[in-house]
Amino acid sequence: MDLINLIIKSAFMDNMVFAYFLGMCSFLAVSKKVSTANGLGLAVIFVLTCTAPLNWLIQQKILNEGALSWIGPQFATVDLSFLQLLMFIAVIASFVQLVEMVIEKFSPALYGSLGIFLPLIAVNCAILGGSLFMVQRDFNLQEATAFGFGSGLGFYLAIVALAAIREKLKYSHVPDGLKGLGITMLLTGLMGLAFKTFIGMTL
Amino acid sequence: MSEVKEKEVLKVKKSEALLSKRRKNILIDPLDDNNPVTIQVLGICSALAVTIKLEPTIVMSLSVVFVMIFSSLLTSLVRDYIPVRVRIIVQLAIIASLVTLVSEFLKAFNYEMFKVLGAFVGLIITNCIILGRLEAYAMGNKPYDSILDAMGSSVGYAWIILAVAFFRELLGSGSVLGYKVFEMIGWETFPTNGLFVDSIGAFIILGLIIWVQRSRNGYVEN
Amino acid sequence: MTIFFGTLLSFTRMQLGPIQKVQVEIDTKKKILGAVMDISSLNPDEILSLYSKKMTSVVLDISGNEISPVGGESIIAEEVNIQKNYKINKDYRKYPVFMFSEDGTSVDYYIFPMFGNGLWDWISGFVALDKDLNKIVGVAFDHKAETPGLGARISSDEIQDRYKGKEIFNTNGDLISIKMLKKENNPSLSIHEVDGMSGATITANGLNDMMKNYLDCYLPFILKNKNLDETLISYNE
Repeated sequence: MDLINLIIKSAFMDNMVFAYFLGMCSFLAVSKKVSTANGLGLAVIFVLTCTAPLNWLIQQKILNEGALSWIGPQFATVDLSFLQLLMFIAVIASFVQLVEMVIEKFSPALYGSLGIFLPLIAVNCAILGGSLFMVQRDFNLQEATAFGFGSGLGFYLAIVALAAIREKLKYSHVPDGLKGLGITMLLTGLMGLAFKTFIGMTL
Repeated sequence: MSEVKEKEVLKVKKSEALLSKRRKNILIDPLDDNNPVTIQVLGICSALAVTIKLEPTIVMSLSVVFVMIFSSLLTSLVRDYIPVRVRIIVQLAIIASLVTLVSEFLKAFNYEMFKVLGAFVGLIITNCIILGRLEAYAMGNKPYDSILDAMGSSVGYAWIILAVAFFRELLGSGSVLGYKVFEMIGWETFPTNGLFVDSIGAFIILGLIIWVQRSRNGYVEN
Repeated sequence: MTIFFGTLLSFTRMQLGPIQKVQVEIDTKKKILGAVMDISSLNPDEILSLYSKKMTSVVLDISGNEISPVGGESIIAEEVNIQKNYKINKDYRKYPVFMFSEDGTSVDYYIFPMFGNGLWDWISGFVALDKDLNKIVGVAFDHKAETPGLGARISSDEIQDRYKGKEIFNTNGDLISIKMLKKENNPSLSIHEVDGMSGATITANGLNDMMKNYLDCYLPFILKNKNLDETLISYNE
């Protein structure tokens, strides 16, 4: 049950977009359509759910102080945690590259429709943020995976909802200075308020 | 005779002034007209969560300026030697290493701020502005120009988030840099608005700042 | 280029590593000392020397017995991660206890770390008991993400001062801990109650649960030392 609660918490209360505003950069600048938001969101769920446990393993087995003792006792005092950022970003970039190659091979149509988004995911703040938060909150492996999935899910819900509203906004009269980024900021704020209503909900 | 003279004239090229008009524009445009946050729509990601109070925002801004300037410099210096296929990876490696440096120094000399900023120091790596400027400018321009561009963009980003932080701390906690200003001027029961301490207030303030700035500039997104 | 950066970063870490460790140490010791006395005027060096002169510590198991050193290395109480231990079943956790002694012969204050859940995320704290192991000398609470102005008040002096002088045992000798009530300015408070924070009931409940749960876990140790006239310093530093 705790894992399910963790998923709910990371999808709604600790939403990557509404609580921390991560992952919006590329999305805001490039897309206003629900179909692209959908594709991007699903890709993010997949990448987050896989890179969180992957980076957890690296943190536990390679980076932490004393983690390298499985090679041999003489390595027990080695502390590689300063390499964390480099390693995480390398893992994420490589994983996204892998996913890109697999999709290109097995579904050229999907590859075409995702277009530039795939490589952009590698530098999406939400992905790196997911790994960094996971380390900060001291999860175990299952919790890390649940957290990755929940965060991805929350991200997906957030950007699809935002894209849907932005599509409708085309038909509203928005003051000039607010068009585009400005109104999106206000929107995100209000939607974040709505997501907070899930506070305290546990199964 | 005149042929030789022409060649001589051509060889003498005037070196550009350190702050020529062109260079001034590189430095100043991103502060207002071409602001990375409000106009180019970059780099807001990691910023909003730390702008709850002014002090961590100052530390964050300084870190971003540092990382931007040095990564632009390094990228510009090696730009001719990077194969095209791996250039994103090289850029990421440069940025990640610089951010790690900043993180280590913070941990050692300002542990309080390091705790407050937490994961967001690492998220400087994915700050779209840094990667964006490296790719768009530093990869194709000389080191000095790249430094100017980096300074302009990072300060342009910095003043926006400092403005957001100023209002968030003032309205959310009634203080500036920890000093309870309202209490100081005698208005002791200033109703602090908890909304501004939350990320929601940040969005609203940022939206309003963008509105003001774009109305002044006349920039309208399509 | 990888080699260049790798070397640069390793070098930085080697140089800065010791300084970083000291920062963490100061941070932990500030929290522990802060429960007993006002340390806002002390600089880091003063804190460290005061701590090493007057504070001893021990790490216990659920039955109140000192956990014997594993493989020749005794456990350093200051390095026990309360948050990590919270996730372990309470029967298997490590419980560090800190003891402050003015003159070095007998214990004046006992400081007990604890951990729990507030409204949004975790809360933690140190409760400092007088040498009678009944009266509270001071508390220091911390939280991750409580609402400023509401639950976040637990880390303010205003709320923490309310606990001074309260008692955790009733006249029958039962451990009933301290209860934070729902409202502020209650007409009468017993020696086991403190005023609450209006609008922050869930945080207050989390606080009450945290104190009760952990005091129950420390109870064997408390009972062992309660009836002595004074606890002599017998634990190794």
